Amino acid sequence: MVEMDSITVIIKTSESMKEYAYEGDLNIPVTTLLERINVKHDIKIHYSSSCLQGLCGSCSMIINGLPRLACKTFVNEEEMTKKTHKITIEPLSKFPVVNDLVVDRTSMFENIKNSRQWLEEEARINKDNLEFEYEASQCLMCGCCLEACPNYTGEDTYYGAILPVTSSKISKQEMDMDKLKFLKENYSNHFYNACVKSLACENVCPMNIQTQRAISIMNRHSIWKFHKLLKR
Amino acid sequence: MVKEIIVIGAGLAGLTCSVKSASKNMHVKLFSPAQSERSQSVMAMGGINAALNTKREDDSVDEHYADTINAGQHINNHNAVEKLTSDAPEIIDWLSKLGTSFTRDDNSNVDVRYFGGQKKMRTAYAGARTGKQILTAINTECRKWEYKDKIERHVGWRFLSLILDDNKVCRGVFMINENTAEIRDFYADFVVIASGGMNKVFGKISGSLHNDGFVTGKLLQQGIELANMEMIQYHPTTIETPVKRMLITEAARGEGGRLYTLRNGEKWYFMEELYPEHGALMPRDVVSQSIYRVCHEYGLGIDGENKVYLDLTHLDEKTVKIKLDEVYDVCMNYLNLDPTREPIPVYPGVHYFMGGIRTDDAHKTNIDNLFAIGECSSQYHGANRLGGNSLLGAIHGGWVVAEQLEEIQCENDNSKEYGKILNCEYEAYENWKELQKENDNVSSYEIENEIANIMNKTMGIYRTESELKEGLDRLDSLETIHVNSHGSYYDYILLKSLVDIAKAMLSSALARKESRGAHQRLDYPETSDKYLKTTVISLDNDELKITFNDTEERMGW
Repeated sequence: MVEMDSITVIIKTSESMKEYAYEGDLNIPVTTLLERINVKHDIKIHYSSSCLQGLCGSCSMIINGLPRLACKTFVNEEEMTKKTHKITIEPLSKFPVVNDLVVDRTSMFENIKNSRQWLEEEARINKDNLEFEYEASQCLMCGCCLEACPNYTGEDTYYGAILPVTSSKISKQEMDMDKLKFLKENYSNHFYNACVKSLACENVCPMNIQTQRAISIMNRHSIWKFHKLLKR
Repeated sequence: MVKEIIVIGAGLAGLTCSVKSASKNMHVKLFSPAQSERSQSVMAMGGINAALNTKREDDSVDEHYADTINAGQHINNHNAVEKLTSDAPEIIDWLSKLGTSFTRDDNSNVDVRYFGGQKKMRTAYAGARTGKQILTAINTECRKWEYKDKIERHVGWRFLSLILDDNKVCRGVFMINENTAEIRDFYADFVVIASGGMNKVFGKISGSLHNDGFVTGKLLQQGIELANMEMIQYHPTTIETPVKRMLITEAARGEGGRLYTLRNGEKWYFMEELYPEHGALMPRDVVSQSIYRVCHEYGLGIDGENKVYLDLTHLDEKTVKIKLDEVYDVCMNYLNLDPTREPIPVYPGVHYFMGGIRTDDAHKTNIDNLFAIGECSSQYHGANRLGGNSLLGAIHGGWVVAEQLEEIQCENDNSKEYGKILNCEYEAYENWKELQKENDNVSSYEIENEIANIMNKTMGIYRTESELKEGLDRLDSLETIHVNSHGSYYDYILLKSLVDIAKAMLSSALARKESRGAHQRLDYPETSDKYLKTTVISLDNDELKITFNDTEERMGW
């Protein structure tokens, strides 16, 4: 069933706010909406996209106020759009804007690299951990969790939920003791001490990664020593 | 001296090559338009083939080899396939040690399952997202070498052209930064191309938008030979969505999914009747051709349309929702259809390019110091690729090139300046700027659309001489049009590349006067031993030149 309707598409970039009229099928994701506007008006609104089906994390942007993957956000399912016949699309706000809706997420990758998120030794294989490791490996590095996070600004040493997500998997697989120690310290410095546990990250994650579980795994790793001291 | 390597493309092939080269004490510059997480590799669902022989089925490397060659209809490079299949178990072991979360069986072995064209359970997998899981593991390893400054990542850069010296030896690359339009030269001892398939000539296909085919087209323009360009894989089961044709993984049939259409009101499981031994798990070319015939020859498409049903409703709900969770998600999100309750309407769609840059068993191209790996290379899959061999081929390419880079002696003479050629690149850029000032230019979207229409019409599952010739004429007429590329230089130069590879595909299809694998000619329905060869195409004084060469031919450097 094709739902035909007309809506106003509002593209809010750092430089301007432009409105485009769109008429046609609304049972389409926002990436398709942007593509059709570009072709119809013979313009190029810049946005990142690659897989168009929720697998690569390219197209995260703010749609009707919330950080989402544009390729998985259907126009006809937007409550606000249904009411107002408008849809507002903006670039993520916590990263520098490159062009229109394209942002530069380099800082996120640098933080993870500088957090030495890799294995020093061969991965420990434990079937019981497999399901969690699989889930953590699904992280798209799309940045939605950082956008939604009340603590993440991109301007200090707090790295946001991507750190416990990658760290928790690596902690389960790593066998090098020094590295494990480093991972704990790094987690305390760049996450534990600043997260207020709003868990907005879990709510917006397009892969439904249980960030809370990742955080609790890393918390347990990191506060273990205190726990032992208290027992004495 | 530390060897300098340039790698173009940061999907699984490029990543593997970079990581392996760095671990062998080479220095890598890794270029890509976006981060590795955005690459097409993450879209590979089903799995990766290796004869692990853990299911008491007496599987062996020899059988993996034979199945790969048979599916490729004997025009694969046999030496390359031999190495590919014999290295496969070691590759799985390497990936496992890097922390890939492979699904495991009761004995904690990496689990393997059935896939098309293979009688043994040989396809290792990680849930329903094997490509993503593997990429996460190799990318994690890559971080280590980036941190140690052995890999230097350049994200946001697009390839412009190769730097070739007077002796036609590759010395480096010109790149353009998509955000700043900065054009720069980079030099290295070796250049490795890992730029993926040529998706954009067909408009939008199942894969990523990043793999547009520009690099392959540019290389053709610079005198690099391409091979088997007519061999284009139609995946049997894709679904029509408002976004594009999306893929339903072969794993759906590997787990027991059945294909049927309605005949006289009753379900007709045509694959099982036509091919009792493999049924719906015949190689992809055969399944796609069968679906085509059901719809076009027998007129038995569902509701008179071009579609048949892929049925998963008889499978355990858990199998669909866990092992095939991606299928479940795609159907729910993009079709509003629950595959545990309703059959999925499917039809073949363009999925993979067996052909591309001509490479020998060592992944060498016809230009000294230039390698190609991953989907852009062409030696492994012949006339049709087996499911599960693309992830394997991508990783194996990076693996064997890194091995060789360590061995090959090089001059380390990167002192030469190529400023003159760089000036040519600037000049071309300035010319484009001038051109964009004209008012009556045709929109690049229109041209892209026209190319896709030509390709979809002429390079379908079945081809004819008259259609191919007509397609070539239409492509010729596009060359003189002045284009408005909406402020993007890259979009502008991309079009020329697309037209060139489209022509190379059509010309190769015209020249191969037989039917084999993915290349089916209605006017030449037989397979002919005369064409047990690699189709080689090159640009010679602006004319496309085609020869048929021995499949095992080496590049000689």
